[in-house]
Amino acid sequence: MKYLSLEPSYARFSAVLLNAILVLLTGCNAPSPAEHVAPAYQSSEAFPGGATSASPKPFVSFQLPAANLNPALKSDFYAGQALARQPWVKAPTITTARDGLGPIYNARTCLSCHIKGGKGFISDTDQVPLLGTLIRLSKPGAITEEFAQAGIIPHPVYGDQIQGQSISLAHQLRHSQKPGTLQHDVAPEAYVYIQWQEQTFTYPDQHQVQLRQPSLEFRNLGYGPLGDDTLISVRVAPAIHGMGLLELIPQQDIDALVDEGDHNGDGISGRVNLVWDVETQTMAPGRFGLKANKPTLAMTVAGAFAGDVGISNSLFPQQPCTKKQSKCLSSHNGNDVDGFELPDHLLDLVVNFNRNLAPLKRSHFKSQKVLQGRELFYALNCNQCHAPSFKTGDSTQFPHLSGQTIWPYSDLLLHDMGDELADHRPDFLASGNEWRTPPLWGVGVQHQVNGSRALLHDGRARTIEEAILWHSGEALKSKVRFTTLSKKDRETLMFFVKSL
Amino acid sequence: MNLLKLATCITAASLLAACGSDSDGPSAQQKLLNTNADIAYATYTDSVETAKLLKEALATFKTSPTAENLTAAKTAWLVSREPYGQSEVYRFRESPIEAVEGDVNAWPLGEALIDYVKVNDTDFTADQVGVTANSAGINADGVVDGSIATQNIIGETDVVINDALLANTASADDEHDVIAGYHAIEFLLWGQDLNTTTQLTTNGTDRNLAVNATSQGGQRPLEDFTTNDNADRRHQFLEVAVDKLIVDLEQVQAGWKDGVSGNYRAQFTTITNDADFNQKLTEILTGMGTLSEGELAGERMQIAFASNSQEDEHSCFSDNTHRDIWLDAEGVSNSFYGSYAGYDSTQDGIDDVTSNAVNGYGIDDYLREVGLDSLAASAKDAFDLTETNYTEIDTLARAGSPFDVQIMAANRTAQSPVSKTIISLEAQARAIQDIATELNLGDVVEDDASECETSTPDVEC
Repeated sequence: MKYLSLEPSYARFSAVLLNAILVLLTGCNAPSPAEHVAPAYQSSEAFPGGATSASPKPFVSFQLPAANLNPALKSDFYAGQALARQPWVKAPTITTARDGLGPIYNARTCLSCHIKGGKGFISDTDQVPLLGTLIRLSKPGAITEEFAQAGIIPHPVYGDQIQGQSISLAHQLRHSQKPGTLQHDVAPEAYVYIQWQEQTFTYPDQHQVQLRQPSLEFRNLGYGPLGDDTLISVRVAPAIHGMGLLELIPQQDIDALVDEGDHNGDGISGRVNLVWDVETQTMAPGRFGLKANKPTLAMTVAGAFAGDVGISNSLFPQQPCTKKQSKCLSSHNGNDVDGFELPDHLLDLVVNFNRNLAPLKRSHFKSQKVLQGRELFYALNCNQCHAPSFKTGDSTQFPHLSGQTIWPYSDLLLHDMGDELADHRPDFLASGNEWRTPPLWGVGVQHQVNGSRALLHDGRARTIEEAILWHSGEALKSKVRFTTLSKKDRETLMFFVKSL
Repeated sequence: MNLLKLATCITAASLLAACGSDSDGPSAQQKLLNTNADIAYATYTDSVETAKLLKEALATFKTSPTAENLTAAKTAWLVSREPYGQSEVYRFRESPIEAVEGDVNAWPLGEALIDYVKVNDTDFTADQVGVTANSAGINADGVVDGSIATQNIIGETDVVINDALLANTASADDEHDVIAGYHAIEFLLWGQDLNTTTQLTTNGTDRNLAVNATSQGGQRPLEDFTTNDNADRRHQFLEVAVDKLIVDLEQVQAGWKDGVSGNYRAQFTTITNDADFNQKLTEILTGMGTLSEGELAGERMQIAFASNSQEDEHSCFSDNTHRDIWLDAEGVSNSFYGSYAGYDSTQDGIDDVTSNAVNGYGIDDYLREVGLDSLAASAKDAFDLTETNYTEIDTLARAGSPFDVQIMAANRTAQSPVSKTIISLEAQARAIQDIATELNLGDVVEDDASECETSTPDVEC
């Protein structure tokens, strides 16, 4: 049993521990002088989501409504939460409102992966198949006209992701029945297991950190072999708070950070993905998703419903089955008279629920150590990709999200993160080496939200330190400078990141 | 907060701190937490006891599967909901129920996974092919044909129905398969709530109307438990489900038992300073506010009201949703007043089983003790209004318009008691939030001096 009420003491414990370590090791040196000086501290930094920022008391959660949400909209927020949280069930049932799961799927609900709005989990061992972690698939080669709107060449049999579950009774009862008791009607695509290869990183000061990277094993492939040339990318479900604010950042403010040819010579470029917008039927700048392959929040939510839960909707009307998966295609679905399992007015509720999930107020923001870490963050140029702040644009529809000064610490641009982090799976313009800068807000309380310590796209990093050490490519210079800091300064920098 | 109130608050807080350890018995803070824990233990104890009565009724029905005994089993199920509903205010605050709630009370139910689902092809659009029988089977290869039922636990006789089936499936992996708990038992006893009595034109657009139009619950025939080939398997499933329900509820009950070193209650009721108390009180208020606004008004009522969705009805097979609403709301006011009146065993709306009733120290008492009388009064007004409105839902339901009829399009007006209850629950949630605000409970204490622990001021930072 989890009694998470014990958890909030962790931050204080960390602070004590860090202090003890610092005193023991190095005493209190000032941070090294830097050519990139941090701007003056602003009082708005304590409120990463501006007026939407919610209190982390009594429970730290990324599932809270924006603090300034109009009370009249609260019931819609919770109605949307119902659709994100309560399990979808196998069709047919007596109404279409909650049926249509799968036939193949990854999760029954949105929040079973984005637990409490936070980051998903990835197994530390190969004892259980991956759940809450997505395996994206594609085939190599130039994008043909046929797949111009997909941005990838999907696997001809398995499509663009592994759905590791199915509505088949044999799958549902796999933990209680002897193997062979039941045959699949619709087979899950595969049970995917992960193994971790450990390696040791040694700092110039000889301090060592254990790192790990994943390798996958596909068992029970339901539809034949994957083929050797299949491109595979492991994705842990990201946290989903603050999305409505990110959505309202003016595109021109993001574009202003683009330096595609690295004209300023800092080694950091940053570029916009250009992706298909199903609503406008045009190519549009990508903003959401680990490779910025979705232009709008609505498409992000609708795409996840269709692909991950198997709930069709007007933006993604198809079932999650490829032409080669005939049993999947011919299974009962939960479509309404318009041909969708999730009608638009309910999809809107879920999108608005996601839109209104609040970033949390910071608990540490102005102490000496946080401010020292802040100096280092800027000194090392971390802010070049983890762009600290934006002001959201105007929205008549969502006035409470408008004009907010927010502190997400992401430029929402694609960056080459080096070969070791690469998934080698292009997605629209994003190369196999490129990832969108993930926002850092809330990263320090991520595990207090739901226990997940997984960082980076595939969850390989278990601490902020490990995540930093995996940085390469455009982030190489900053990473190298980090490794040459004193241990105390490294801790101070990480203390700042944890405080965000 | 105005200055006068602030002054009152500070004065009261100082007084309390000063009096915290006097010899006149437990402090106000301690009394509030103890009562809150006492009510939890009482409601879970009654939940366990009524679940055991349900088990007895199911056993009798198995031995003698008559219409009378089926009715008696249904009644026992309805009674078992009475104390459990009042316990739901203990969710949303990381208390013992969170570990098993998914197995106890999860919904929507995966009904198609448990037993046959009878789908009348004229009631449903083309997506719902005419599955009419419980003869399950699969095609070895090729497509899944609409002429055969999908597989389900009752129909697949190779599936062993034992405690491992539920224990290993219900909580397995992501979320829950939702084949366990109260609603699984409900589905097996009542069956799907389909329109079988009226002759509406059901060309798809009228589908919701057709489904909702009946004013009774599900219509599972008695033959499902007598002459049907799988009758024994249904009895077996009920037996396994109620056993697991009892085990799960007992686990929660044990977490709240007084005098057990190290259990949840011991942790919850142990406070050493005002900050400890504030944390616990915030947890209580979070549970009350979340149930009022998020779960009940939003996830259960607004979504059902907005989408006219029968499946969003909490107890959709038995048409008992009006009681779910009443009982959840009653649980919230129990926490406020520090009292639990017991439960209703005769379905007349009056709590007649009072053996575990609690009459203790409520949040209202505490507010008055710290000089916030007007806050206590305005919260009481909010609770009273909610009670008026949910009572109206209950009255209508008892008069033949169950919740699924009350949410039908024609009844969706501002005057609907469902609409009024949603609004009053939201107002009640704001009143609960006001309590937290006035007591400064949600504030983030800033560390503007340094991250140094004040307990170790000598550590250099």
